This record gives sequence, structure tokens and C-alpha cells, in this order.
Amino acid sequence: MSKAIEIENFSYEYPDGTLALCNICLNVEHSQRLALIGPNGAGKSTLLLAMAGFVKGTGKVFIDGLQINKKNFKKIRTLLGSCLENPDDQLFMPTLFDDVAFGPLNMGIEAEKVKKRVTEALKTVGLEGMADKAPHHLSAGQKRAAAIATILSMAPKIITLDEPDGSLDPRNRKNLIKLLAALPQTLIIATCDMNFAATIADRTVLLDEGYIIADDDVKKIMSDSKLMTEHGLEVPTQFKNGNYHNFKS
Amino acid sequence: MHHAYIDKFAYQDSPIHRLDGRVKFIVALTFTAVVVSLPRTSLSILTCYAVGPFTILVLGRIPLRFAFKHILLVCPFILVLALTCPLYDRTPVNVAFGLFLWQTSLGWMRCFTILGKFIVTMLALIALVSTTRFSNLLTGLHKLGVPKLLIIQLGFLYRYIFILIDSAHHILRARDGRKLTNLGFTAELKIAAAMLGSLLIRSIDSAERINIAMQARGFEGKWRSISKLKFRRCDLLFTLSAASFLFGLHFFIKPILL
Repeated sequence: MSKAIEIENFSYEYPDGTLALCNICLNVEHSQRLALIGPNGAGKSTLLLAMAGFVKGTGKVFIDGLQINKKNFKKIRTLLGSCLENPDDQLFMPTLFDDVAFGPLNMGIEAEKVKKRVTEALKTVGLEGMADKAPHHLSAGQKRAAAIATILSMAPKIITLDEPDGSLDPRNRKNLIKLLAALPQTLIIATCDMNFAATIADRTVLLDEGYIIADDDVKKIMSDSKLMTEHGLEVPTQFKNGNYHNFKS
Repeated sequence: MHHAYIDKFAYQDSPIHRLDGRVKFIVALTFTAVVVSLPRTSLSILTCYAVGPFTILVLGRIPLRFAFKHILLVCPFILVLALTCPLYDRTPVNVAFGLFLWQTSLGWMRCFTILGKFIVTMLALIALVSTTRFSNLLTGLHKLGVPKLLIIQLGFLYRYIFILIDSAHHILRARDGRKLTNLGFTAELKIAAAMLGSLLIRSIDSAERINIAMQARGFEGKWRSISKLKFRRCDLLFTLSAASFLFGLHFFIKPILL
């Protein structure tokens, strides 16, 4: 059986020559929850864009066994849903309904089924009854949930989320964790918040300066204070005080 | 967000709000065309036409203060145009209002007619925008045959104008937080240019990210939408009432007043 995501020796340079990703090799199993952690500028967002086929570098990227290329682009859109860092970029239609319906309509699904998908997606993220609202009338937490609904309505097997916890208050962060934990899809989450990553993920990939530094179980990586500090990160609260475990030794 | 929305009252519920967006758009357009085409000395008939948008605003529970506040916001442009009229047309005319009779110039008559037409048509426009959700208006325009490309552009304009205003507010606040003294005209102009540049770059970056978000959801250049508009009996009633109002004013009241 093919893996959810397979990346073979992927490298990418920005147009100005800065190395963004170097020789990335990564396999993600179906239903896995992977947290991409690393300091700012580590290449997390670029790696998510590469998974969706938006940056073209050297190497190969496979989504559910399909290699990303022009021919497979449409099919890959239905397999992998990308949720961008800023919900305002994700929500571009005049109403929430139109935004959540945008993906399914582009997939060629008939109107009645689209309506059903929109209702279900909004219910899943806790925004039922708000379909007619304009995105600029939503709160930050609601916008984040709505952005996820725009992906859920397409029913992808894999969802990538770029800093989904950014600018959320504790209550909304808690709601987001609850929502993500209930999703059956493969999740790839790029985040700088170690507590959030430790709560939601079962595997962690530590990126820095475009390289994969570590790839292992969340607890193993995140409780290694030396490794975390070296790369400008901090040990999450749940792995501090006695839970220390050095996976390298 | 701290700015007021022009469509602040569009999410209310009233008989006017429930009407089909297409009907309201066509009525507002026809009304505007009729008012604009009125003769240049038809001040008294203008007051009769103003009854239409006033009724819609009252039935739609839109505060008149809100409507006049928005008219005041855009009136400087028209004021400049209107106030130039008395300067170039000084032909004397006699004006009668009931028992009162006085002499003025044709330029002043034109000035007041321009202002009157502006206020009445703006009231109609505010009545349309405040009682119709923008999404319904776009769907209505699409159903009326307006090109999809224009609809997309209008949709994006509506969606991102608020974000752009917010960005501008943030930049201004950041400047005010560090600005302790007036730096002089040249320096201030330089700062303003840099701020505008920053806003432009942010907009371009946003546009690129929105493009990614659209492509990620399968967009390939073809715009698809589900129409939710229905032409009902109340829409027909509204159309007939509006037509009777315009017809009555044009054929019965206008000949008496002019």
C-alpha cells in the first residue's frame, strides 16, 4: 500500500539563491499526525507548499502514490488539502457558504451534494448556521475554523496546516485541538508552538535551515532539551521536569 | 477591525431585505437613471422622487443618520462640482415657492439640482446596499448577465477592501507610535510614499497567497457558484409598486410641477 506522502531527495532554492530545502527525504503513513517544527525560516511552510506542488524543486514528491506533476495536479488537489497560515488568504469569497463550496464545485460535484458537504463541514468545525456570514464578520477563531472547513468539504485524505494555532487565544486553541484530534485524515502541521505540537501530533520532524535535523516520536524529540535549545526551540511544558529523555543516547 | 462597514445593515431581516437582489438592483438602476435625466431646474420634483428611497430605508429599518453620514463622506467631490455652477452661469431666473417669489441665477439652480440629484440617488444606492447582502447582489448581477470576470473582481474587492483598510490602519498606528515631531513636508511625503509602497507589496503578497489557496481548491480559471435567488410574489409586488411610483411621478406629478 502506498504511503500518504513520500518525498525523495527534494531540494529547493528561492529565486535569490537562498537554500530553502535541502535533500528532504520523508515518508508519512496514512492517518499519521505529523508536526513539522523548527525556528522561523527553517523551511516548514516551503515544505508544505512542496507537498501541495506549489514549489518545484529537484527530487520527487508522491501523494498517496501519485507523483506530483502537471498530469496529476488535479487528482492531487482532491487528495491533499492545504490550509494556509493566514485565514484571510484562505477565505476569499463573499460568504462562508461560497467559500466552503468553492472546492467541491471545482471538483465537479453536483449542487445538491455540494450543499450537503458544506453543511457537514461547517457542522464539523462548529460553525453551523453561519453559512451566510461574510468572512470579515468572523472572529479570529471562527476564521481559523472556517479555513479548515473549506478543506474538509473537499474530503481530502491528507490535510496540511500552516501555523494553525497562530494568533488564537487559549480557548480557541483548545477548540482547534479538539477539532483536529477528531479528524480521521493524515495531518501535517507546521508550527512554532511546541505545546500545541506535543498535544496534537504523534510524530515530529525538526527542520532547521532547510535540513531535517530529527524525525521521531514527539516525546523523544521534544524532551531532548539540548536538541531543542540548539535549534531555537523550547521543551513543551508536558515534557519538562523529570520527563526528560534523550533519544540520541 | 474598527472601521464601519457600508453593508453594516445588510444582514438585518425585513421585508425589503428578503426581496430578490436582482429586483432591487434593477429598480435602483432605473430610479437613478430617471432622477439623473430630470431637467436641470426641477428641484421640486426631486423632493417627490426622494420619497422612494426614504420609504425603502424606513421599511428596511436603516437609520437615516447612517445614510446621511455616508452621503456626507462622499459629498466633497460633488460639492466642488456643484459650487462651480454659479460662477459660470449667472443668467437671472425667477423662482416661486408657494407665496414666495424671488430672483436668483441659473447657476445656483443648477448647483442645488446637482446636490439634490446626488442626495436622492445616493439615498437609493445606500438603500440598495444596506438592504442587500453583497453576495446576493453579485449573484443577482451574474444572473442578469454581467460578465463573470467582473463579478469575480467585485467579489475580491468587497472581500479584501476591509483587510486593506485594516493594514493601512496598522501602518498608520505604527507610524504614530514612533512619530514624536513633525518632520517637515518632504520627509512626511517620503514616509507616506514608503507606507504606500509597503501596502502595495503586502497586497501583492496577499494576492499570491490567495492564488495558491484558490489553486489548492481546484480552481482552474472557471468560476462556479450555486445560485440561491428566487423570484417570488413579493418581488413582483415590489417591482409593480416601484414602476407605479416612477410612472406616476413622470406622467402625473412632473407635468404639474414643471
